[in-house]
Parts: sequence; structure tokens; C-alpha cells
Amino acid sequence: MHKYFKNMDLLGKPLKDKVKQRTEENVQEVEKAEQEVQEAKEKIKEFGLPAEKINSRGQLTIWQRLDILVDEGTWRPLHMLYNPAENEDCTTNVVDGLAKINGRWAVVVGFDNKYMAGAWIPGQSENIFRVTDLAKRLNIPLVWVVNCSGVKLPEQEKFYGGRRGSGTTFFRHAELEQMGLPVLAGIYGTNPAGGGYQGVSPTILFAHKDCNIAVGGAGIVSGMSPKGYFDVESAQELIDVAKQHRETPPGGVDVHYDETGFFRFVFEKEEDVLKAMRDYMTKLPAYDPEFFQVDEPKEPKFPTEDLYYLLPVNPKRTYDFEQILARLVDGSEHQEFRPDYGPEVYTGLVKLDGMLCGCIGNRQGIMPKGYPEYADYPGIGGKLYRQGLIKMNEFVTLCGRDRLPVIWFQDTSGIDVGNIAEKAELLGLGQSLIYSIQQTDVPMMLVTLRKGSAAAHYIMGGPTANRHNAFTLGTVATEIYVMHGETAAVATYTRRLIKDQQAGKSLEPTVEKMNELVKKYYDTSRPIFCAKTGLIDEIAALRDLRGYLQAFAGAAYQNPKSLCPQHHLMLPRIAKG
Amino acid sequence: MSEEIRSPLAGKVWTITVKQGDTVEEDDEIMVLEAMKMETPVYSSADGTVKEIKVKPGDTVEEDDVLAVIE
Repeated sequence: MHKYFKNMDLLGKPLKDKVKQRTEENVQEVEKAEQEVQEAKEKIKEFGLPAEKINSRGQLTIWQRLDILVDEGTWRPLHMLYNPAENEDCTTNVVDGLAKINGRWAVVVGFDNKYMAGAWIPGQSENIFRVTDLAKRLNIPLVWVVNCSGVKLPEQEKFYGGRRGSGTTFFRHAELEQMGLPVLAGIYGTNPAGGGYQGVSPTILFAHKDCNIAVGGAGIVSGMSPKGYFDVESAQELIDVAKQHRETPPGGVDVHYDETGFFRFVFEKEEDVLKAMRDYMTKLPAYDPEFFQVDEPKEPKFPTEDLYYLLPVNPKRTYDFEQILARLVDGSEHQEFRPDYGPEVYTGLVKLDGMLCGCIGNRQGIMPKGYPEYADYPGIGGKLYRQGLIKMNEFVTLCGRDRLPVIWFQDTSGIDVGNIAEKAELLGLGQSLIYSIQQTDVPMMLVTLRKGSAAAHYIMGGPTANRHNAFTLGTVATEIYVMHGETAAVATYTRRLIKDQQAGKSLEPTVEKMNELVKKYYDTSRPIFCAKTGLIDEIAALRDLRGYLQAFAGAAYQNPKSLCPQHHLMLPRIAKG
Repeated sequence: MSEEIRSPLAGKVWTITVKQGDTVEEDDEIMVLEAMKMETPVYSSADGTVKEIKVKPGDTVEEDDVLAVIE
């Protein structure tokens, strides 16, 4: 099969200087927007106590711990801006991402010990579910850096109980273990109550000498008030009891290493906990990448920096999708699937670090004359028509058959609409694609290059494909909404305009409302909004996109639940014909 | 030998990237048309010199109209 994969067809072409000159403004716009996103991320990163303060207590910050834990250059952060509960003083108080640890991919998550000693806060469990879902979808270990003071008590009602509360995360750990996926935990600091379960629920516990895990902390042990209310006398009693407990919080290494043995290992230094976890990674199940590689890993033939010229931030401006893809995949090589059919969609095989992946993306611009074949109007890129939908159905089905991870790229305004489109079965073909995706059971990821809109955002491997979509990236050009704001304003207010006119009323108030709605759609579809609300898992700089694709492919192939022998792959043969 | 650059669609001329007398290469952008909420670039189909530009920004064009001539 090597003939199929070595020196595949070349994708894209070099950028001319003239094109670079003409699109220099776009480069500046993208870089400015990326800088703003980066500043927002830095603000989150620096939130809470300063590193010096934490260090003066003999502790490292979460970011310093991650620096030691993960292999240099492999950290692919996720959910940096995710803040589903709209906390005003921080986001979710956990940090997570994909990273290599001692050469192996893992999903890494840790409490930010700079804020309330890593407390549970509103919205945090939703972030952790994304993390456990990611480990499950990619079938790779979950690695925790635990330092959790338990519930932020004044806000417990927002996240303590319920089906998706913080305690549900412990069931998720058990679920991963049930699947054969280990959860490693390095444990630091004081971890009472919820923090205790954060510490004890993983599979292998690596403890720092000063850490503890306990059903309840000193505060709870000393916090009973038999009178049913507080007065000065009982306050003094509390002070006296708490002072005693503060000396020896329950559940330290003297108990959970020496007595219960819950802690598998204990280390004197903070750094040694992380080094031991790194060493332990080699004991966990993982194929050598060579097992799955179909070719030597190669950098793209064309520079990734070209993306800044090629992806227009102006949403009306069309571009060449193949030129984008050529900057992201090994050797800028591919094998296209059905190039003569469904021209609005690209489908093909690409390599990332030598590993084969399926790739699907929206093409832009005017479609060839006569397409779509069922209508007398012209086809435009970003929309989906009958052939494109059929082609995607075929392609993902074959990716499932060949056990190939799928990378989706969206820049879509939706599926063709109207009675002609209905007669062409587009509604049914869209749902068929959802069914096809469901049948594949292979890891998928999505890059929403610009627009993710209408049902096309669902059916093209979007995050709504919960059990399939490992994660979704956005760029600074991303916009996600059910439809464009102007379209929504027309749909919402046209009848009212007619009524206003018939009643002889001024149209101004309704026109004002229409413009307000357009503005609202704009504000609630921007990349930072999408990242905060979780419509995407991270806004990636264009120069970082390939790194995420490599992480996805490497993780998906590290320990897949099923595999297809290279010499049994059908997609390359079908594509060749 | 002259090469006519024709409109791929009906729409409006949005911007013109070249001027008469400019040297262009195949695939260089000549102008941008606007139609169906999209800005669609029109590229030169040959190397040469821009002999004539037959439209101006804001003009409405039909599919297949000649937009420019390259010599």
C-alpha cells in the first residue's frame, strides 16, 4: 500500500508576492484579533494570587506544574476562556488541554491553585465533563493535577447537586476506568470533602508529602453548631477547636500512605510528583506511532504562516479551501475522494505526522455552471447541495470502515432551502449524514474556520455530535449562529412591518428592533463569545492549527479501540478507482 | 493575441485591482464582483498586459459579460 501514501498528490500552490501585498491588510487584521484573544487568555492565566505568593509558600502554581509535567512544545490548551456560569471573578478554575507526557498523549487537567486554593466553583463541572469526554473519545489517559479546597461554600447551590454537578465528575472517572482508561493524579495541598474525592477518585495517586485528602476538612470537623445559631460564645469555641485542627488536617500521608495505602507514591518535592507521573506514563497502553504511520512525518510543503494571507476575515470574501489545507497537512499532500462529484465540498485523505486521516471541508465561491444539477439557480460555496451531502455520507461511512479519524473544516451558511431543495431530498440527506457519523464511531474534530451556521453546523461533525466530536476549534474569523442576523431580523419582523404599514404606523420602531437583533446576533456570534459559552473548545491562532491537528491525530491513533490493517484500507482504492 | 476576461456570474463590480497597462500573470486577481452576499475575485486567465477594462466599480454585469481584455 505504500504507493498510495508516499508522494500523494500535491495540494495547493505557492503564494505569489503580489497576492501577499494585496492581502497584507488581512494579515494585520488577523494578527490584531489574535493578539486580543491572547491577552484575554493571559488575563485568565494570571488570575488569582501572584506566582511569587504561591512560591513563597513552598508551592508551585498550576502553570509551573504543567511546565514540568508535559513535554516541551506539546501543550495544546483547551477551554481557556470557557465560562459557562458567567463567573465574574474567574472562569472555571480548572486548566486543561491535550499534551504529550513522556512521549505519550494525554488529556491533562488541573485546578488553578492561585484562586481559592483550587475551589469548586459554578460551571467547573461542565468543563471537567468536556475533559472526561475528550479522554473517552480519544481513548487516552486522563492526567489530573489535583489541588482542590472543595466547594466555594457561598455558591454551593449552583453546582453541588444535580445530574451535572461537581460530584458527577467522580462517576466520569469511574466510567473511564470501566473503559480501561487510567486516570493518574498528582495531589497537592489540602483537599477536603469534594477535594478529597477529586483526590481519591482517580486510578493511581501520586502524593506530595504535605497533601491530604479527606471526607471532610478541619473546617467541617470543627464546624458543628449544636445551638442551631451562632453567638459570641460559640464563635470562641469554634476558634479554639479550629486552631487545634489546623495543626493536623485529617487524611495526610501519615494516614493515606502509611495506613490506608490510597496514595501509591509519596514524594518530598513538588517536582518529584510530576517527574514520577511522567515516568509512569510509559507503563500505560499506547502503540508506537510507527504501528499506524503510512509515511514518514513531513512538514507541509508550504508555510503555515501563509494562512494569514489566505483566510479572509471579511466573511463575504471567498477563498480557496485547498490552499488552506495545503498549509496544514504533511507534505501538502492528499488523495481526493470523488473530485468530480459534489464540488461544494472537499473530501480527501491527508497525513498528519505520517498518520492517515479523513478530511472534509466547505469550498467557497461560485460553483461550476449547472450545479446544483436539480435547480436553475447557481450554486455557491459554503452551502450544501444534494451531491455534496451524498459525498459526505459516503466518505464518513468509508472512514468508519477504514477506522480513520476525521477532521472537519466548516465555513458554511447552511443547506440549500426551498421546495426545489426539499424535492432533492436535502432534509433527509442531512439527517442521513448524522446517521452516518453515528455509525462510524471514530474520533472527529472540527475547525470552524469562519462560519458555522444553520443545520450544516450540526451535520458537519460539529460539537452537537457529542460522542464523535472530540473537540472544536475556532479562529478569530469564527462566527456561529443559527442564521445571519439580517436573515433572522427579516424572519422575525417582516410580518410586523406589514401590519405596521397596514395600520398606518411608523416603521421606525420595528426597523430599530431589527437593527438591535442584527447587533445582538453579531455580538453573540464572535469568537470570544463562542469560547466563553462553549460553542467552541478553543480559539486557535492560525499558526497553531497544525499543532492541534497533530495532537488530534497522534491521540486518536495512540490506543484506538479498533483498527483496520493498512492493506485492507478501501478508501484509497475507491478514490483511485 | 488578446484574452477576454469574462464575468463568471451576474452581480456588481465591487473593486478593480488592476489598471490599464498593468502587467499581469495567469491567476492574478483582476477585480472583485459582489453577488449573493459574496465577494468573488476574478482572475486573469493568461500572462500579459491589461489592454482594456470594460467596467467600473458599481457597474452591474451579467454572466459572461467581458470585464477586461489582456493582451
